[in-house]
Amino acid sequence: MLNWTFRELISAPQQLLASVAAVAGAFALVLFFEGVFAGESDQIVALIERTEGDVWVMQKGVGNMHMATSFVSDWKIDAVADVDGVEKVTPILYLNSAIEAGGRNWFSFVVGLEPGDGRAGPWRHAGGAQLPGAGTAIVPDIFASDAGLSIGDTVRIAGRDFAVAGFSGDTFSMANSITFVTIDDLADTMSSIGTVSYMLVDAAPGVDPAILANRIMGEVEKVNALTRAEFAARDYSIAVQMGLEIVWMMTLIGGALAMLLTGFIVHSHISERERELAVMKALGVRNSAIYGSTMLQALAIGALAFLLAVALMLLAIPLTQWLMPKVSLAMTGEALIRTGSTALVVSLVASVIPVRRVLSVDPVTAFQQ
Amino acid sequence: MKVSAMLNLAWKNSILRPGRMVLIILSVAAVLAEILVLEGFLAGSYTQLRQTVLRRGGDVMVAQSGVTNFLATRSILPQQARAAVEAIPGVAGTHPLAAIGLIYEAGERRSPIIVMVYDDAGGPFAMAAGKPPAEDGSIAVDHALAEKFGLSTGDTLTLSDFEFSISGITRGESALFTPFAFMNFDTLIDFYFESDVASDIAAFPLLSFLSVDAAPGTDPADLAARITGEVADAQAMLPRDLALNDEEMGRELLGPVLNLLLGLSYGIGAMAIGMFTFAAVRSRRRSLGVMRALGFTARHIATGVVAEAVVTAVAAIPLGILMAVGLAALIERVAPVYLLEVLEPRALLQTAFVAVALAVLGALAPLRMLMRLDPATAFRE
Repeated sequence: MLNWTFRELISAPQQLLASVAAVAGAFALVLFFEGVFAGESDQIVALIERTEGDVWVMQKGVGNMHMATSFVSDWKIDAVADVDGVEKVTPILYLNSAIEAGGRNWFSFVVGLEPGDGRAGPWRHAGGAQLPGAGTAIVPDIFASDAGLSIGDTVRIAGRDFAVAGFSGDTFSMANSITFVTIDDLADTMSSIGTVSYMLVDAAPGVDPAILANRIMGEVEKVNALTRAEFAARDYSIAVQMGLEIVWMMTLIGGALAMLLTGFIVHSHISERERELAVMKALGVRNSAIYGSTMLQALAIGALAFLLAVALMLLAIPLTQWLMPKVSLAMTGEALIRTGSTALVVSLVASVIPVRRVLSVDPVTAFQQ
Repeated sequence: MKVSAMLNLAWKNSILRPGRMVLIILSVAAVLAEILVLEGFLAGSYTQLRQTVLRRGGDVMVAQSGVTNFLATRSILPQQARAAVEAIPGVAGTHPLAAIGLIYEAGERRSPIIVMVYDDAGGPFAMAAGKPPAEDGSIAVDHALAEKFGLSTGDTLTLSDFEFSISGITRGESALFTPFAFMNFDTLIDFYFESDVASDIAAFPLLSFLSVDAAPGTDPADLAARITGEVADAQAMLPRDLALNDEEMGRELLGPVLNLLLGLSYGIGAMAIGMFTFAAVRSRRRSLGVMRALGFTARHIATGVVAEAVVTAVAAIPLGILMAVGLAALIERVAPVYLLEVLEPRALLQTAFVAVALAVLGALAPLRMLMRLDPATAFRE
């Protein structure tokens, strides 16, 4: 029976290929959709993960950076620096804003840096100045290329013009590009003199960041302090939660599509082999064995399609980076498990579709015609 | 062979095996539904962006000088801007607005929200329950947030340790995957002073935008130009232009990914239809061989196969639309933060056209097999 199943499956290789490709396309769509959310979520925490602070200090009641607003009076920089176990404090100012460049509007995180201090600044230099100076901005290289920006060109942030002084790498995604300016320029733009948004705190050697965060909250009035890992995890979870429902819906749609396609192909195989099945039944092969064979075929198609979808995604990640650098793609283990499980369920449900056909085959037809 | 005869043949072939035909039509309809859902998601996202400004009302919208977006940007107008705008001839009234981004947390679950602060105009467009936030300390939250966190009228909503009382649930007030909440300016001041937000209140926006009513007979575009020219640090735009700028930003944000997903969906559609026609041709090789033996040319048969694929696609279009409407309703019910405009006429027409084009493209898959079809097949088996 296994042999028959295998022969059946490869009896029309082009058809099998088209079926597997179509089902894989449905799974790839789900993986791709989820990959975009994962890629964007990774990029959301890029600033937190790629900079050096062990502890992040922010306004009390704030625990995020993405789509959040935090203001802390600047006298607290010294207060935090005086806490036992703090080696260095790096303040930044931060603003979510649309940026006008090349006649288009882009959404960006704008980070104000202390002059000459790159600890919270661009982590990969991609041309021009490394750090922003007065009246200038460091913009992501992909953003610059897409907007046709060169050194010296102008970008407008919250109504104020900045000259492009340099480019940074690994700082762009569609929803989370990062632009760097000086803290004074951003304070002026935001009319928030005397405040900072976040402080990146370096712990002295041997000091546990979690203990230091608690100590800062205990000693400095009205601030929240989180370890870098905790802060990144909170922002990542926001991004994931924002896309959770739509990812599930796409999984549902893609899964239903894959189920119909798989069901069709096993149904076709059964329909084309009715006479053969009748002979098998006449020879004593039971319905359950034939049905087991269709289930195996469906599982094989589902498994092949899933593997092809994963291969497509592995190919799509570098290809997208090359052809469409604006799109950030990532593949997570969770996405693989979810789509793999969907493939399994889809195959099992699809194999039910031709059951009626299998049961209706009459062994007598083997001796007719 | 006449077109009508080919269509007749295609139709008869289609209904020869009804079960199989239903499965094919269902599958093609599912592909179309999936495309329409993506198109509807894109169109709905742009509508939400436009509506955010347009629902705030007014003939002219004044922002900080140089700010040309309503959402995803920071605009701070000086307090004296309101008096300066009201002093301009042609201004019938002004309505202050502020927008603040905050994170709502309940246990381990978090959601960003955009709080719209308003005075006498620019508040919630439609209420699903309760009433707008008239009393101090009250807030109206959108259905999207209420659904996600199980909130209802009369409940307490805690933001930055400040407890708001939910006065009502708004409908369709969200954009950029983010639900809105509404409060009045008195509540905002209380929130700033009593909650754990920054000690420096000057850092927070108290006046982001001014919605301006033009006096009867005043041209809004002309009024906007005069406000921009006469009020320091302010820029006036027509709400429709601001809305288009926000939509444009949405296109930059969502367009590349969703267009890529749409491209992938079209690819799946072509492959699926190719698979169906390939399977149909393969299962009817004998009858097609008979046709060849009767004098039909390979071209005739290929045309018939293409016609059959087109018939299938045309039959699948209404079902696909129905499925898309059902899926959109399900998605909007589970996650009301999204708006899916699956019945957008441009997307419908485009998808119907693409369905037929994919059918023709997919029907070419077994072309080689058809061209090599031997009339002797009719006498084998």
